[in-house]
Amino acid sequence: MPAKKRTVRIGNWYKSDDEKVHFVRKRKAPRPAQLRKIVPGQVLILLSGRFQGKRVVFLKQLKSGLLLVTGPFKINGVPLKRVNSAYVIPTSTKVDVTGVNANQIDDDYFKRTQAQRRKNEQGFWAKRGELTAEQQTAEKTRLDGKRNTQKSVDAALITAIKKTQLLKQYLGARFTIGKTTRPHELVF
Amino acid sequence: MVLAKFVEVGRVVKINYGPQEGRLATIVEILNDKRVLIDGPTTGVQRQVIPIRRLTLTKFNLKGATRGARTGVITKAIKKSDPFAQYAQTVAAKKVAKKALRAKLNDFDRFRVMILRKRRSALLSTQLKSLKKNTGGKAQTQAKGGNKKK
Repeated sequence: MPAKKRTVRIGNWYKSDDEKVHFVRKRKAPRPAQLRKIVPGQVLILLSGRFQGKRVVFLKQLKSGLLLVTGPFKINGVPLKRVNSAYVIPTSTKVDVTGVNANQIDDDYFKRTQAQRRKNEQGFWAKRGELTAEQQTAEKTRLDGKRNTQKSVDAALITAIKKTQLLKQYLGARFTIGKTTRPHELVF
Repeated sequence: MVLAKFVEVGRVVKINYGPQEGRLATIVEILNDKRVLIDGPTTGVQRQVIPIRRLTLTKFNLKGATRGARTGVITKAIKKSDPFAQYAQTVAAKKVAKKALRAKLNDFDRFRVMILRKRRSALLSTQLKSLKKNTGGKAQTQAKGGNKKK
């Protein structure tokens, strides 16, 4: 969040009295939320949203404080995604992520483009055809780029996952609670 | 019914209640009809007075335990013949160990157990089917096991 600065405009306004300048706490750079002992490569259980119950691999924490996770996509359909750490259960299972390169992905990767915003503006009636030709090609290249990034990030991950027996199936399954499960007694 | 488990010096006991719940110890001295002095140097039980009510007697005895023996003597006796290890072989002890292990399973372990149970069940059902087929429907359903699950 940008710091609110007390500015005095020269010209229109002259200080008549000594205005009391209240103590303004210097805003430091925004601190990302403290990670509660979540380590890159750790398997997390997503608790909310479309992918609730899915087990995903944690890659890194972004500047905004959100966690970058990936399914991997081929295994459980979860793409590169930002996730709030409050809506996540960290498990003690870890995947080897030494070969995974997610350095080029940051919060800007997830920013909505103009074309997307325009589409949202038009709402329900928006169709792909209503984008201009160049917007369409731009969209296509953007999506292809995203697909490639997903593939490149997941490639090393999937080879690491295949080394452990049943880990692939584990990540493909959803976490569920039945009648007799006691979540407060479960060790994750 | 012949009484076999006595409260006596050397009797291996299991603590039922209190902060040491679940641990084993030996009776070192009998104080009165309700209280004993126990000690479990190898099982992490401090030498202490404890009501008999809080104990379960096991069928094992520590050989070489004398009345009022100090912890050192008890430890030496345990080194010679370890009744605690013998107790760990009993069915009851194994059940407790199994329960403790299951409580410690993490999410991935639980998933693996589920898959293994399914596989075992599939193996059993194919065995059963073949048995039924071979003996014309009057099969003795002796289930022969697949993998040992946790």
